[in-house]
Amino acid sequence: MFAPATRATEPRQDFASCSGCGLCLLVCPVWQRERDIGLTPLVRAKALQFGAIAADLEASVQSCTLCAACEPVCPEDIALVAMTLGLRAQLLPPATAQGLRARMDEQAALPTAPAPSAATLLLPGRALRARAATLARTLRLLGGERQVATAADDGADMVLALEAGLPLPAKRMERFLQPLRRSTKLVVGDGLLLRELRRWLPQTKIESLGAALSGVAAVRRALRASDLYVIEARAYHADYERLVRHYDALRAAAGCAFNLDLQRIALPARARSLAQTLGIEAVDDRAQLRWILQGRSVARIVVEDPADGAAFAQVTELPVVHLADLADDGSS
Amino acid sequence: MQLADIEPGTVGPCHVAPDALQGIKRQQTNPSRWSGENWEAFAAAIRAGGIELRETMAARAPFATDAGGTAYGLAHGVVIARSAEQVAQLLRAAQAHRVPVTVSGGGLTTEGESVAFGGVLLDMSGMSRVLDIDAAALTVRTEAGIFWHSLAEELRRQDLDYLSAPLNLTSSVGGTLGVGGIDVNSARLGCSADQALALQVVTPTGDIVECSDTDNAELFQRVILGYGQFGVITAAKLRIRRYTPLRMHYFYYASLATAIEDLQLLDRNDASDYSGILTIMDCAVNVLVAFDSTEREAAFMANWRPRLRGYGELGFGLRTLAHYALRPWKLGEAWYLLQRKRELFPELQRPEYMRDGAMFDRSVVFSRAVWKFWGSRQMVIPDLATSAGKFVEAVERGNAVCRKYFRHYTLYLVGIRLRPEHRAHYEMSCIPPDADGWAYGCEFEPMLDDGLYSRDTLQSFKNEIYDIGVDMGASYYRFGGMMKGYIRRVFGDALVDRHLALKRAADPAMILNRHVIF
Repeated sequence: MFAPATRATEPRQDFASCSGCGLCLLVCPVWQRERDIGLTPLVRAKALQFGAIAADLEASVQSCTLCAACEPVCPEDIALVAMTLGLRAQLLPPATAQGLRARMDEQAALPTAPAPSAATLLLPGRALRARAATLARTLRLLGGERQVATAADDGADMVLALEAGLPLPAKRMERFLQPLRRSTKLVVGDGLLLRELRRWLPQTKIESLGAALSGVAAVRRALRASDLYVIEARAYHADYERLVRHYDALRAAAGCAFNLDLQRIALPARARSLAQTLGIEAVDDRAQLRWILQGRSVARIVVEDPADGAAFAQVTELPVVHLADLADDGSS
Repeated sequence: MQLADIEPGTVGPCHVAPDALQGIKRQQTNPSRWSGENWEAFAAAIRAGGIELRETMAARAPFATDAGGTAYGLAHGVVIARSAEQVAQLLRAAQAHRVPVTVSGGGLTTEGESVAFGGVLLDMSGMSRVLDIDAAALTVRTEAGIFWHSLAEELRRQDLDYLSAPLNLTSSVGGTLGVGGIDVNSARLGCSADQALALQVVTPTGDIVECSDTDNAELFQRVILGYGQFGVITAAKLRIRRYTPLRMHYFYYASLATAIEDLQLLDRNDASDYSGILTIMDCAVNVLVAFDSTEREAAFMANWRPRLRGYGELGFGLRTLAHYALRPWKLGEAWYLLQRKRELFPELQRPEYMRDGAMFDRSVVFSRAVWKFWGSRQMVIPDLATSAGKFVEAVERGNAVCRKYFRHYTLYLVGIRLRPEHRAHYEMSCIPPDADGWAYGCEFEPMLDDGLYSRDTLQSFKNEIYDIGVDMGASYYRFGGMMKGYIRRVFGDALVDRHLALKRAADPAMILNRHVIF
C-alpha cells in the first residue's frame, strides 16, 4: 500500500516541532472564511502535541482544503498536509473507503496503458479532459503530438482517495505508474497528484500544467497587465521554492496581478472541505472568490485550472479565460 | 469567594520559592489562583445566553502555553470572540460568577500573560474583520483580534499600509495596543499603540464603551498600554498611510556603544525613515536604516552616511577576518558568524520580495526570518527600556549577562519617539518615566536551540537583566506574567497601588487577565 506521506525531496518534521508561530493560520483559506482557530493546521498540530486523537479533531481535519498553503510558510518545515491526511485516514467512514477502493480496484483490473508515444506525458486531470478544444490547444502549445502525449490514465480515482487520506492499493499504483516511468517529463494538471508524483517518481521531471503553459512564449506574450492570473494553488505550493521565482519572473515580464498574498502564497479559488470535494455537501466558493477579487481592478481573469474558471464565472462578469485559450496555438 | 483587601507589603510567607527574587518586597494583591469555583453555573449561564463554550481537551490544549513556552496553564473552557456584545455578555457572567477571563490575541506573549490558569480563555482572533477603510482620511476601523498582517493584506489592496507594528505577522492589533509595540519606524512614529485614534472597549463589568483622547479619555489612557487590565479591546480606529516599499541599508559595527551612538544620531536628526540595530552576539552589530523615498535616501547618503562609523559588508568582513586571525581560539565564534551570515542574509533578500532594489513587505521578510532563525518551542526575550542617555550602559550590561549565560544570542534595539500628548498613556508602561524625546528599548534574545536550559536558568537570566533595569531606573516591555515581581520595584508602590485601586474599581471580582500585572 502507498500511503500519502511527505515529499521524498527533503526531510520533513512532524507536529511535535510546531512552535505555535501561527504563520500557517494566516494563509489558511478555512481560517480566512471562518475565523475559527480550531479549524487550522496550527491547532491540529498543537492539539496533537497534547495528546489529541483524530476523533477530537474531526471537524478541523475534514474542513481542510489541502491547498497546502501552510507548508511553504512553516518555519519548522512540518509536513502539515501529510499530518492532515494521516488524520483523515483514521476518520474515513468504512462505506466511503469501500467505495473509493472499489473504484481503484476497477481501474487496477484494466489492461496497462500502452507506452507513451512521446517523451512528455500530459496528465490533464478531469476538468481539462472534459474540455476537448482546450485540451487540444494545450497539447499544441506544449509542442504537439510529437512532443507530448496525453496519458490514458490520469488517476482521477486515486486523486479522490488521496483527498480522503486513503492508502492506495499497490496494484492500482503499479498500473498507474508503469507508463509514467517511461516518460522523461510529466505535465500534471492536478496539484494533489503532482505532489505525490514528485515523491513516487523522484527521478522524473514533473511540472504543473500551469507552470508548463505559462513558460510558453506565445502564452506569456498574450498576458496583459490588466489580467488577474489565477495560479492553481496545490501545484504551486507543492513546488513553491521554484515556482515562486517562476511567477515572479512572469509578473515582471507581463505586469499582471496574481492570486498571491503578501507572503507570495496562492489564494485557492476553490476552498473546499472533504465533504464538498466528495460531493456530500453543497459547494459555495463565493466568499473565497470575492476575497481574491476584493479591491483589485482587473479586466480579465486567466486561469490555469478550468475548474477555477468555472467557479469564477459564477461570481463575476469579467471574461474568464484558460491559459491555453489565450494564445494563438498555430491551429488556425 | 471574597477578595481580601491586603495592604501593600503585607503578605504571608511564600512556600513556592522563598529564596527567589531576593530583595524584592513581596506583595500578594490577588487571591490565590482560582480553582474552579462556580464553573458549572457559569458555563450553564453563558451557554444559555447562546455563547459557544468549548471544553474539550483538543480545544483547550492549543492555548496551554504562549510563544515563550515556559508558562503552562489550562483554561476550563475556550470562547472564540465573535462580537462586542458576546464579549460583554461573557464578562458580565464572569463578574457574577467570579470566573477568570484571560484574553489571547496572537498568543505571542513570552511570560505567560496570555495563558489561562483556569477559567475562560477568550480567543480574540475570532474578531478579525476589517470594518471600514477610509482612504481619504487615512484611517481604518477594524476588529481588534485581527493580526497586523491580515490588516496589511486588506490595506494593500488599496495601496495603503498601517503605520507601525511589531515585526511579527501574527501579532494582533488589540494585543499590541495593550502593550505598546515597536517597529523599526518607532523612532519616527512612536510605539505602535500611538497610531490608535479610538477604541471600542468592553469593560471588565461588561459595558461596551467607545473611547479616545476626547471621549472617555481616562478609559482610553488606561487601556492603551494597559496590559489588558481595564478592558477588552474589541475594535480600533487606526491611522494608516499610503503604501511605500522601502530601500534598506546595513552598516556593520564591532562595538555596541558606537553603533548605539550612531543610531541615536540618526534618530535625533530624523535622518532615516526606519532605523534599528540587530546583532549576532556583540560580534556583528548591524545598524539598519531604510527609506520610503529615493529623496530621503539621497539626503541620508549626502548628509549622514559620511558621519556613520559603521563599515560596509566588505569592509566589515575584512576587519572581522583580521580580528579572528589574531584570536584563533575564537574560531568557533567566527564559524558561527559565517554560518549565520550565509543562512540569514539570503533570507532577508529573497528576490520575490525585492523589486529594483526596494524591499516589499518588510514585515513578511523580517517575520519569516525571525521565526525561521530565532523561533523555537521556547523563547525568552527579557528587555530593557531606558532614556537615551542611559541606553549604552544598559545594553552593555545586558550584553554581559547574555555572554555569561549563552553562547549565541541576538540583541534587537530601537528608538521610540515619545508623543507629549500621549504622556498619560505611558504611565506604568514600557516607556520609562525619565525619557524625554525618545525612549530606547533593547531585547536580549538567546538562541535556545543551542542547548537545553532549565526554567530556573532562564528565569535567572531574565532576573539578571531586569535587575539592571531596577538599578538604572529603567522600564521593561515584558513586565507582566512571570516577571511581575519586578513591577513594584521599578514603578514604586505609590503608582502601582493607584493602578491597583483603579483596577479594583473597574474589575470588582478581579477576573480580567488577573495574573498579568497585579
